[in-house]
Amino acid sequence: MDLVVRTIFVFFLILVITRAVGRRELSSMEPFDLILLVVIGDLVQQGVTQSDYSLTGATMVIVTVAVLTVLTAWLSFRFRRLRPVLEGDPVILVADGRILERNLRRQRMTVEELGAEARLAQIGSLDDVRYAVLETSGKVSFVTASS
Amino acid sequence: MTKLFTDVAAVPDPRGEIVGLWARRAVLTIFAAIAVLGLLDVFGQGTTRTAASTPAAVVRVSAPAAVRGGLFFQSRVDIRARRAIAHPRLVLDEGWIEGMQVNSIEPSPVGEASRDGRLVLSYDGLKAGERLVVWLEFEVNPTNTGHRSYGLELDDADTRIAAIDRRITIFP
Repeated sequence: MDLVVRTIFVFFLILVITRAVGRRELSSMEPFDLILLVVIGDLVQQGVTQSDYSLTGATMVIVTVAVLTVLTAWLSFRFRRLRPVLEGDPVILVADGRILERNLRRQRMTVEELGAEARLAQIGSLDDVRYAVLETSGKVSFVTASS
Repeated sequence: MTKLFTDVAAVPDPRGEIVGLWARRAVLTIFAAIAVLGLLDVFGQGTTRTAASTPAAVVRVSAPAAVRGGLFFQSRVDIRARRAIAHPRLVLDEGWIEGMQVNSIEPSPVGEASRDGRLVLSYDGLKAGERLVVWLEFEVNPTNTGHRSYGLELDDADTRIAAIDRRITIFP
């Protein structure tokens, strides 16, 4: 029983952490973030399975995580009000060609970073951007003036 | 339209779609059932209690009925003597030791022996009304699997006073 309870606890702990940390930080994997991710994975494993070396234990943990993943996806799909909590909302960064500084600040994002994202999307200048949206995945999508 | 897109069926095969959907639902139901069974302690390691009462003594055993490889667990034997027991001996079935790391037995027995393949732990005599509690701490060897007898017997020297019949399941 304790194994499933620990898995449920850690699942929701990670959900809360990812929502609190913010999507930008999680979508941009710097070397430090990658190492931190591995360290967190190791710590989580110790907390969940502890000294359990069994296939039964591994099966229970994986199956519980799978069920919780589907459950949260279903809850998010079924109940619109839960969507901002579970997945977050897209954030508009550029509207009608105007950069929304306040939204950028809230996402701890600079204009330079927005420009870098635009370059990655093959956009030469922010003046060409009509809309830019920080999606729930942490990626920025662009609509150019010409499109 | 390029070949990459023309190869994708515009309308998926309805039968295949339905079969795939229900197969996915069936797998998820099995997953949920496994998680629920885990919560219900089917795969270990919740403690279960067994007791035996005779005119000479009351014996209670608290131990998991199911464990998994690598887990630490405790078994507790609680003996209350109803009459004086001069040479109390706990006779443990092979499941207590087979494939288990014995971390500690407290209080330590004054003597250990084997009786027909079973482990015998000897303790100092008990007066009427006296209580003896023995804590046994184990770790399951990861290669240890199966069902084993986890019963025990309380003897006064070689005379059986009480016996408890239990089994333990070790999941791989």
